[in-house]
Amino acid sequence: MLNDKETNAAGAESASSYVITVNKTKWIIMLASTFAVAGLLSPWASSSPDGLERVAEDHGFLDSAKTVFNWAPIPDYEVAGLSGNALKVGSAGVIGVLVMLAALWVISRNYGGRGNHGDGSGMPAAHK
Amino acid sequence: MHIPDGFLDTKVWITTTVIGASAAAYSLKRTKLALQPDKVSMVALIGAFVFAAQMINFPIAGATSGHFLGGALTAILFGPWIGTLIMAAVLAIQAIVFHDGGVTVLGANVLCAGVISCFAGYGVYRAGMALSRGRGRIIITFLASWLSIVAASAGVALLLSWSGTFELGTALGAMISWHSLIGIGEGAITAVVAGFLLERKMTLAKGEMQHA
Repeated sequence: MLNDKETNAAGAESASSYVITVNKTKWIIMLASTFAVAGLLSPWASSSPDGLERVAEDHGFLDSAKTVFNWAPIPDYEVAGLSGNALKVGSAGVIGVLVMLAALWVISRNYGGRGNHGDGSGMPAAHK
Repeated sequence: MHIPDGFLDTKVWITTTVIGASAAAYSLKRTKLALQPDKVSMVALIGAFVFAAQMINFPIAGATSGHFLGGALTAILFGPWIGTLIMAAVLAIQAIVFHDGGVTVLGANVLCAGVISCFAGYGVYRAGMALSRGRGRIIITFLASWLSIVAASAGVALLLSWSGTFELGTALGAMISWHSLIGIGEGAITAVVAGFLLERKMTLAKGEMQHA
């Protein structure tokens, strides 16, 4: 990040000249920001219709939306039974982040990376 | 731009379910080949970040709102197939747990917000970096992610018009005009996060240009 000029002078770069950081502090900042965004910022998101809803409204087909699957445990990012918008939406966000972390960790641990199976995690390699 | 159930007719949602499921299955296979064990927690964390950031709708021109999508970010960080896998996981959890985006149209959402946005963003980023020889990385990241949103919205417009909802030209015009504004937010967030997380390789081996 600091020596752009020098390295550029040394030779051409491309997308492959850059790798994802292994700096722990940066990843801890990412994790903290993720929880802050989901838990604290989310209740203050705009409730205006999004781009597709705007187009659907303008062109008269918003009504064609229907509910097929009615069993979502936390519909519309609001945890039922809690009082106050900030608490409802914020806790939905935190739950969502935890579910995402768990789901992707299990998927990529079991399916990603050769020779990464059965090393004490107790989880079977579900494929094959 | 999550499509709700009911917007696409039967032939379109069945076709896109097959395409979306195949893309998710294939991305799983590619992830298995490409993902190093030490990146597992990074993939999970970026997926969680994408989910969190998607909750934040920002108002646009008093008429609509947009939110971060994440296809370009995940693809720039991990390549387009792992990107597609992350996006498919985010979209599935949003539909099943939060009733955000339809279930019959999950495949269509994976196709547009996953495959199209990841590959459009990644393609522009790779091509831009090759052309500029690595200069202006942040600007290229911004443009790549702006275009990923425009391309994804064009995909949604195509599916809507194929469903007979409205005429193709009108659909494209309406979707692209709003999403070219929403894409500015995408470009800004992706540029900041990718700028933060990507670093120059410590040893720049000659001839080592190829990965993914």
